[in-house]
Amino acid sequence: MSPRTALLVLLVLWIVTTLGAPLIGSQAISLEDALAGDGTAATILWRIRLPRVLLAVLAGGALAVSGLAFQTLFRNPLAEPYTLGVAGGAALGAVLAMQLEWIGSAVGFPAVAAAAFIGALAVSLVILGLAVTRFGVEVTTLLLAGIAISLSCSALILFLQYLADFTKTFRMVRWMMGGVSVVGYGEVLWVMPWVVVGGLVLAVHRWDLNLLLTGEELAASRGVSLLRVRLAVLGVTSAMIGALVAVTGPIGFVGLIVPHILRRWVGHDHLYLIPACLLGGGIFLAICDLGARTIMAPAELPVGILTALLGGPFFLWLLIVRR
Amino acid sequence: MTAAPILAAEAVGWQFDGRQILDKVDLEVSRGECLVVVGPNGAGKTTLLRMLVGLLQPSSGTVGLEGTDLASLSRRERARHLAYVPQIRPTRVPLTVEQMVLLGRYPYLSPFRGAPRGSDFEAVARALEEVGISGLRERLLTELSGGEQQAVYVATALAQEAEVMILDEPTTHLDPSHQREIAALLLDLNRKAEKTVVAATHDLNFASLIADRIFALRGGRALACDVPAKILQPELLSELFRAPFEIVREGERPVTLLELGR
Repeated sequence: MSPRTALLVLLVLWIVTTLGAPLIGSQAISLEDALAGDGTAATILWRIRLPRVLLAVLAGGALAVSGLAFQTLFRNPLAEPYTLGVAGGAALGAVLAMQLEWIGSAVGFPAVAAAAFIGALAVSLVILGLAVTRFGVEVTTLLLAGIAISLSCSALILFLQYLADFTKTFRMVRWMMGGVSVVGYGEVLWVMPWVVVGGLVLAVHRWDLNLLLTGEELAASRGVSLLRVRLAVLGVTSAMIGALVAVTGPIGFVGLIVPHILRRWVGHDHLYLIPACLLGGGIFLAICDLGARTIMAPAELPVGILTALLGGPFFLWLLIVRR
Repeated sequence: MTAAPILAAEAVGWQFDGRQILDKVDLEVSRGECLVVVGPNGAGKTTLLRMLVGLLQPSSGTVGLEGTDLASLSRRERARHLAYVPQIRPTRVPLTVEQMVLLGRYPYLSPFRGAPRGSDFEAVARALEEVGISGLRERLLTELSGGEQQAVYVATALAQEAEVMILDEPTTHLDPSHQREIAALLLDLNRKAEKTVVAATHDLNFASLIADRIFALRGGRALACDVPAKILQPELLSELFRAPFEIVREGERPVTLLELGR
């Protein structure tokens, strides 16, 4: 299958998932009732399920494309915002904002999201500083630094939870599980521009990313400014992850699983891989969330638990086959 | 060598970790010549080449491209004149040969334009043709032999359409038959396609095979620079490599042999 055909198939699947997933759930609803604007059915479809599916589709796409960007930038299939501690930094920022009750917003930028963004960017820069030497990227340093930073962030998050009162602790714990259950379109509208801008900035850098696949030395000699590309890519992914994590909490492993599968399917050209990850990540997370809200119906699992359950074994499998 | 040099390093030096890697090296490359830099491991060959392509800023001295300071040119401008093939190890780059060679067009691509243009694909086709690997176009780089991979890297540099090709250890990991192919390829590019070629190696016979001039580098200093027949002499070589050499065939392109000397 050519990359173009693969993209087309993904687009069709994406549309089917986005339109189909809201129709399925613990409560059977009739489409006719919902379209007729009838009370309960309409509320469930338009106010609960559709926003949830849309948020899942956007979040999954953002996580997958960020994972892709990290993997190319650091030339390692295990790199993604979660393994490198970037999501941990975002989570720490967000929890700190919740604990200190930084509310209010500057220019429509909520404090929790701003704190998550700063956390994500700070970790990205630390990792960049530690792992990139003049000989290229030190992969071992990179992954070990990611583990160390993740653990430190987790410890600080636990510390903040310990300090927090009961209500705040509950809010933090629930948020840490990672989920896309929202009511109404506020969160969807908040996340969407970040994903669109992030996707566009990455797409503009597709040649640079392709060249980075061949090695830093070769890329630089062809005219790629390594520093500019690294800063641009880390900057937009941090912004995307920060904005997203503030809303959904940490949802792990999407950025690891989805690009890995898609590379096997559409190849390694970022011209196709970037849109493929945006679509494929969305499909993956929306389907995971569909599972999360139906397998234990009427109870609804946070989708973060499900992706982590899938992701752990996948990560191990990746380590084994790479040997 | 009367023509004005296309590429010239003037008293370039480079220090790292308090060590002087290169010390006041002067090097002139004439348009259309094939110059081979030889020297033992750690002589500073790679450092010198990286300076000649502008990947490394000399800590003293300057590198000029047709009289213009390299440092004053943008990265893309440099890449339109100088194509670099770094020392490659067996690659895990999962691109097809065509995708890889197309990346040589980077200095001519705009990030905001949808796709490479017809002229880009023509340049790729020409490069594959010149290197003689058109048949490999659809193959994955990871499936190719070391020699074929090296040929693809050379094709990528050709697609860059630069006058000067700079290659670091182009034959290090290759068996004799592939070494021979790369030597023939570089000679063709130099003689027929009129590319200026600069290569670094510690393989003296490879240097003798292709070089117009050999530049001998030892401990970051220029030892000598002359035609192969003048450089490939027992005294000079033993000074260069601190090992005894025997010249087993004299002539314009001498053949040398390492002696155990016991």
